[in-house]
Amino acid sequence: MSEPLRIGRPHERPAPPKAEDLNLHFSERAVQELEALKTHYPDLKACVLPCLWIAQREYGGFLSGEALAEVAFRLKRSYAEVEGVATFYSMYNVAHKPGRHKIEVCTCLTCSVCGGFRVWEYLKAKLGVENGQTTPDGVFTLEEVECLDACDRAPVIQVGDRYIGPVNEATLDALLAELRASEESSVVQMANEIVQVHLAASERA
Amino acid sequence: MAERLLLLEHAADPNFATLAGYQAKGGYAGLRKALAMDRQGVIDQVKASGLRGRGGAGFPAWIKWNGIEKTKTQPHYLICNADEGEPGTFKDKQLMEQTPFLLVEGMTIAGFATQADCGYIYIRGEFIDAARAVRKAIDEAYAAGLLGKNILGTGLDFDLYIHLGAGSYECGEESALMSSLMGERGMPRLKFPHAPLPTVAGLWDRPTIINNVETYCCAPSILTNGGEWYASIGASTKNSRGTKIFSVSGHVNRPGNYEVEFGTPLAELLQMAGGMKGGALKACVPGGSSVPMIRAEAVERAIIGYEEMGEVGSMVGSGGCMFLNEHTCIVRFIWRTSLFYARESCGKCTPCREGTKWLAQILDRIVKGGGRSGDFELLQQVCSQIDGRSFCGLGDAAAWPVAGALKVFPEEFRHFIEHGKSVVDSPLREPAMV
Ligand SMILES: Cc1cc2nc3c(=O)[nH]c(=O)nc-3n(C[C@H](O)[C@H](O)[C@H](O)COP(=O)(O)O)c2cc1C
Ligand code: SF4
Ligand code: FES
Repeated sequence: MSEPLRIGRPHERPAPPKAEDLNLHFSERAVQELEALKTHYPDLKACVLPCLWIAQREYGGFLSGEALAEVAFRLKRSYAEVEGVATFYSMYNVAHKPGRHKIEVCTCLTCSVCGGFRVWEYLKAKLGVENGQTTPDGVFTLEEVECLDACDRAPVIQVGDRYIGPVNEATLDALLAELRASEESSVVQMANEIVQVHLAASERA
Repeated sequence: MAERLLLLEHAADPNFATLAGYQAKGGYAGLRKALAMDRQGVIDQVKASGLRGRGGAGFPAWIKWNGIEKTKTQPHYLICNADEGEPGTFKDKQLMEQTPFLLVEGMTIAGFATQADCGYIYIRGEFIDAARAVRKAIDEAYAAGLLGKNILGTGLDFDLYIHLGAGSYECGEESALMSSLMGERGMPRLKFPHAPLPTVAGLWDRPTIINNVETYCCAPSILTNGGEWYASIGASTKNSRGTKIFSVSGHVNRPGNYEVEFGTPLAELLQMAGGMKGGALKACVPGGSSVPMIRAEAVERAIIGYEEMGEVGSMVGSGGCMFLNEHTCIVRFIWRTSLFYARESCGKCTPCREGTKWLAQILDRIVKGGGRSGDFELLQQVCSQIDGRSFCGLGDAAAWPVAGALKVFPEEFRHFIEHGKSVVDSPLREPAMV
């Protein structure tokens, strides 16, 4: 018997905090951003996705149980509802705290025939991790992703707000070195960028 | 025929992404013309243009616009589907990054025609560069009185908001997109005739128009030059008018977006992209991962047009055109396709949730050398159990490429199943990373 095919990444589920342990961590700025966002939609529920982006930034790139609870509290939703939404989308980090940099490797159609699987195998070996795992030093999380819609640059990878491709062994090595040296988390930075594009000029801090 | 640039004409010019640069090239003439007409006049121009939706289904744009109640009794909404996720497609990304004002102006025209209170641009979460460019354009348009209250002094009010996705292909499906925009998991909703059309009850149960980025981007030139002018482009085809952007990728020398007039032979698109790389043409997936692939012989005959592509057994789809050379293992390619759909299936309905996983599982066994006699028929059977029985289009889109490949490359599948290896000398031989 062959191994059953695993589809998707395993989702560990974050534990919600007890009601009495709920601490609110959003910064003043985050609260203001959320207030601005609320004016974009006729109801609070529609703010769940953008608010999860705020939370992903505020909680250091990870939507922990506390983060989800805070989103639920601020938008008057239940914890279960917010967790349900967060776990549906692949860009929300709900399984565990990701590394400083999340390397997303496309192995989808065009990339698959242009060397995408080589990139994937190369990075897995180089970083010593499997899909969805983070290196022990907490620098990199590696993820296999579906088409990034940059197939003209296949094989392509995404790190934070950067699309990089076509890549080869040499450019990957150089990239890893560069990322290792940068202290800023591209995961947090990406979440912030996403929050910012929601906001009009007058709403941005 | 060469490229015919209506949308991408000034794309390479960075100034075109600024309001001044856009207006210097005639930008906002379309909106001015529209505002001088009545709403029905605008819809009539779009009708005359023959514009069909560029998001994949090719539905006539004017029918949606015309379907919104004419006497406004409640809020109306406009949505731009910028969740481009179809593997092989990257045209909306370029349009947003380089020609964001075409989108902003096009949506303002549509907003006027349908009396929308505001519009939401639902952009795929990964597309941060595109989102930044559209953000900049919207901010500039507000500052210049081209969005917001009393646009151009005509009394028209229209707001535009950006809303980012968070990683889900299914959110490109229009009703799932609305679920997502309303703050839910990206699962589709019941559709007509079992539920009202979105033009009657869409976003927050209000009359809603949803169109693709490229569709809206066509509106400014249609209004500027007239619907009849637009309809003269591509007139050699049965029912496809104007231009279409194709995202060409795969084993070609110059991958990229190419805008062509409908009626252009598919083989010319390949020429534009610099021809094949690394070997002769074997197959082509002309319209994104969801459409059936065609063999090289069919590429020679294929004409770009919604009906015309049907004659060679495929579709225009979203325009994600992948050319594959002779060293490509079709079975492995289809295995990867099925894996995509299995991962992206939202799980709401059984035929797709279970069917896509079975397809992926069976194909996975085959490419690992464990094919069994009867697998070919089994795959066909699973496809027919998904196609037409799923809750939304993702199920169909998962079945078509598999069923299509089984039909046009049966020998490759039979060989792999029987011998446990590919007809291509080395199934795992992939071009080195370039
Ligand atoms: C699974 C699935 C994914 C889709 N993805 C997209 C997409 O990424 N972008 C898009 O514009 N349309 C997509 N569509 C089509 C939309 O449902 C819808 O038809 C389109 O947005 C309508 O706009 P148009 O009439 O301008 O083409 C998708 C459909 C399905 C079934
Ligand atoms: S076909 Fe069914 S399971 Fe598949 S994406 Fe649509 S609703 Fe979800
Ligand atoms: S297949 Fe990799 S970016 Fe499209």
